[in-house]
Amino acid sequence: MHFFIDKNQLIDAIQHVNKAVSTKTTIPILTGIKFDLASDGLVLTGSDSDISIQVFVPITKNDQEIVKVIKPGKIVLPAKYIVDIVKKLPGSEIEFSLVDTFSVLIRSASTEFKLNGYDPEEYPELPQIEEDQVLTINSDLLKSMIRQTIFAVSTLENRPILTGVLWKLNQGKLSFVSTDSHRLSMREANVEENGLTFDNVVVPGKTLQELTKILEDDSIPVHIVVTDNQILVKMENVLFYSRLLDGTYPDISRIIPEKGKTVMTVTKQSLLDAIERAALIAKNDKTNIVKLSILEELLLEITSNSPEVGKVTEHIKVNQLDGEALKISFNAKYTLEALKAMDSQEIKIEFTGALSPFVLKPTDHDRILHLILPVRTF
Amino acid sequence: MGKITILDEHIANQIAAGEVVERPASIVKELVENSIDAGSTKIEIEIEEGGLTSIRVADNGDGLEEDDVEKAFLRHATSKIKTGNDLFRITTLGFRGEALPSIAAVSRLTLRTSTTQNGQGLEVYLEAGNLKKKQAIAFNKGTEIIIRDIFFNTPARLKYLKALQTEIGHIIDYVNRLSLSYPYIAFTLIHNNRPLLRTNGDRELLHVITAIYGASVAKSMIKLEEEDKDFKISGYISRPEITRANKNHISLFVNGRFIKHYLLTQAIIKGFDTLLMVNRFPIAVINIELDPSLIDVNVHPAKLEVRFSKEQELMKLLEQTIRSYLHEQNFVRQIDLNSIATKKEKVKVEQSSINFYRNHQHTNYPKQIVDQFIPQPSEQPIASLSSMQQSIEEEKKNFLVEEDLYDENINSIEANSADRLPMLEPVSQFNGTYIVAQGEAGLYLIDQHAAHERINYEKNLNRMNEEVRTSQELLVPITLDYPKSEALLIHKNLEILQNNGLEIEPFGQNSFIIRAMPQWIPANEELFYIDRIIQQVLEHGEINMELLRKDLIASTSCKTSIKANHYLSKKEMEILLEDLRKTDNPFSCPHGRPIVIHFSLREIEKMFKRVI
Repeated sequence: MHFFIDKNQLIDAIQHVNKAVSTKTTIPILTGIKFDLASDGLVLTGSDSDISIQVFVPITKNDQEIVKVIKPGKIVLPAKYIVDIVKKLPGSEIEFSLVDTFSVLIRSASTEFKLNGYDPEEYPELPQIEEDQVLTINSDLLKSMIRQTIFAVSTLENRPILTGVLWKLNQGKLSFVSTDSHRLSMREANVEENGLTFDNVVVPGKTLQELTKILEDDSIPVHIVVTDNQILVKMENVLFYSRLLDGTYPDISRIIPEKGKTVMTVTKQSLLDAIERAALIAKNDKTNIVKLSILEELLLEITSNSPEVGKVTEHIKVNQLDGEALKISFNAKYTLEALKAMDSQEIKIEFTGALSPFVLKPTDHDRILHLILPVRTF
Repeated sequence: MGKITILDEHIANQIAAGEVVERPASIVKELVENSIDAGSTKIEIEIEEGGLTSIRVADNGDGLEEDDVEKAFLRHATSKIKTGNDLFRITTLGFRGEALPSIAAVSRLTLRTSTTQNGQGLEVYLEAGNLKKKQAIAFNKGTEIIIRDIFFNTPARLKYLKALQTEIGHIIDYVNRLSLSYPYIAFTLIHNNRPLLRTNGDRELLHVITAIYGASVAKSMIKLEEEDKDFKISGYISRPEITRANKNHISLFVNGRFIKHYLLTQAIIKGFDTLLMVNRFPIAVINIELDPSLIDVNVHPAKLEVRFSKEQELMKLLEQTIRSYLHEQNFVRQIDLNSIATKKEKVKVEQSSINFYRNHQHTNYPKQIVDQFIPQPSEQPIASLSSMQQSIEEEKKNFLVEEDLYDENINSIEANSADRLPMLEPVSQFNGTYIVAQGEAGLYLIDQHAAHERINYEKNLNRMNEEVRTSQELLVPITLDYPKSEALLIHKNLEILQNNGLEIEPFGQNSFIIRAMPQWIPANEELFYIDRIIQQVLEHGEINMELLRKDLIASTSCKTSIKANHYLSKKEMEILLEDLRKTDNPFSCPHGRPIVIHFSLREIEKMFKRVI
């Protein structure tokens, strides 16, 4: 293996791949990044056996030469070192050449590293995925859908299926659902209808977190292939593989109340600010409890009381109110995260009682829904 | 007129009693020891109210001749040694000739004895050491001593006795220990008519352990036996899952004498190493036999302390023995479901099976060795065919040698870990924290963090042994002062310290200056580690890096290990279990927590009532 490569291009590629590399793994070779040089370019692979990321660096990009291949070959280099070495090299071009069996010489300007690697043949194969049915979605839309649901996934492994986001596709309608059993987030979007449907595809939250870091903020198409236990997201020059979670996602259809007994619309920012202030007092408590009471005449009272710290009371105006008066306590963190995940200016909250779940929705469309379970106070 | 008078004997005895007869337990100890020295095979101890009301010790030993009965109550009257030389080869428990007169001096004592089987015996009664009554009675062979109202004439001592429970606790402790050291004597201990201990004197130490600690503890004891030219060690240690909160259950016997010895106790604990959790201690009954001339037991009247001539050697032997015995064992923690009664031992039959896991080892193993002799493209052009031939031959030879090495390595791995932790196949993961695995012997739960920690710990220890030693120079040197005696030893061992990266120079008489110290010492803990290094040199004359850096390595290993609540794929679990199997100690993490818990198929079937 012998090649020259543009430093900045390599840094970009290596940083993408490094997102899949875990320092804590029981399989030692997975602490490395695989370099696979062919005549058309360099393929980098990183994996933690859950997520695998493959980046292709073509020999030319926009008519500029990026990689100069002298002799193809492969090696696995320890991610811990190669990432930092590449970043800190002085020149704008880096030369890699294989020496001994599994070591490379890395030269740039007047610096020369010799780095020991691993046998590339021991590196696990990436899953083979048949790409007959492909879902196409714009990168920015996918990214915001993930952002609007990922915060509600469970971080505890005691119910592994809840650590993922449920993906469903039916008649061109793609929906994401996540819940940690205290709150639930749902986001829907229309995608190009091509007869493809799937259900019970549960993508690990950690996967999605890494994926959003790689997804571009532009409306360029991204192709998604789903199999029984794997998902492949194809971006330009980047392949992102992940396992899917095993098991059946709980049926959420009956959890969401049909219609609220008390429905109000409120300006999102004013509610968000008020709860954030109330949370300052509530923070002391692990449960972050904030109390919301509907007073008369379109007035809402937000309070929080912490016996040790003090108390906060705030009134905000409600734009519209239907139904009975209500007092409800909830976890400020859940509500804030839900509010922040909504882009609309005005939102609608539907309550069904002090001890029942309430739903937050934007007023301008119904593609986002957040459900929060109240805190019972004694 | 001079002021010095020679104390009369009674007062002298009372003073001596203060030393020998500290509490009822010491009376029991002295009397029982006398019984043992008299060659008894049955000793009965009966106590009332913690020994304050009455203590009765009866045996079937030699008994006392009529002439000896009164002499026995004189100070320094003993049958156990005769000349000064005997002091250096003491084989009996008592020898000072102080016990009986001291006890008699502070109590009302009745002694009944007979030396023959024909029923002729003698009874004497003493009060505060004065003979009040002497008469012939009918008595079987042996001796019975009844002590009543101890300390009746020394009210000060009586006042300072602890609660009844404490006193009886001490007595039980003594009798337990004596029965452990004399498995051939049948001991019976009765308190207020309640039997507290009964051993049958059948020479089986394990039966005594059963009597004291119960059947379930006895079942999990490991038998030890080891001998070198000076010492013979035998006894039992508990498996690491059975521990106690203090060191009291480590019983040491030297030639049958119970002793307390801090360093030997420490050696036992060290032998357990990381198998024990912090602040937990094993149960151990260790008997050390040695030539009486190698110990000095005449250190203190209670004879609990002894001095050894070859203390270091003994400690090392003890530690290594325990370690090696422990390493042979399989310590997968068993779930004890009300200790299922074991049936008679069955003949063990094991069907050997194909090992499907070998593949892992092969992919990892040969490769590393192979790269060492992959022929490098030679820089110089090959001069002639013959030299090439030669080099090929050499290459071949190398190859063969390496191949042998490789075989040996594989074998040694097998021998090392075979039968310790069985082959396990991961079934699934529970709570993102535990691996559920099955093996031939049933179900196993493995703590993934502890397992990975163990693997990393051993890896890091090996790495430490290979690393180049580096020292950090100090701009402002550290000065250390030591007492004269230690300073001399440090002077002697300066070279060892310097070889280990501690640049130490004498600085005046008792002071030393440290100009550089090993790099691995973490900031802010310099003095702590330097002191530990020096203490090691002082105690052992060498430095054991492994011991010194164990804690540090354990904490770095912990940090680089997978945590709880971390999903693992099947493949990762397989590799983890396989790596765990290859470790030297796959049973506990470096902090002593268990790694593997085992449920046998039978236990599970019992839980489901499939078998009863």
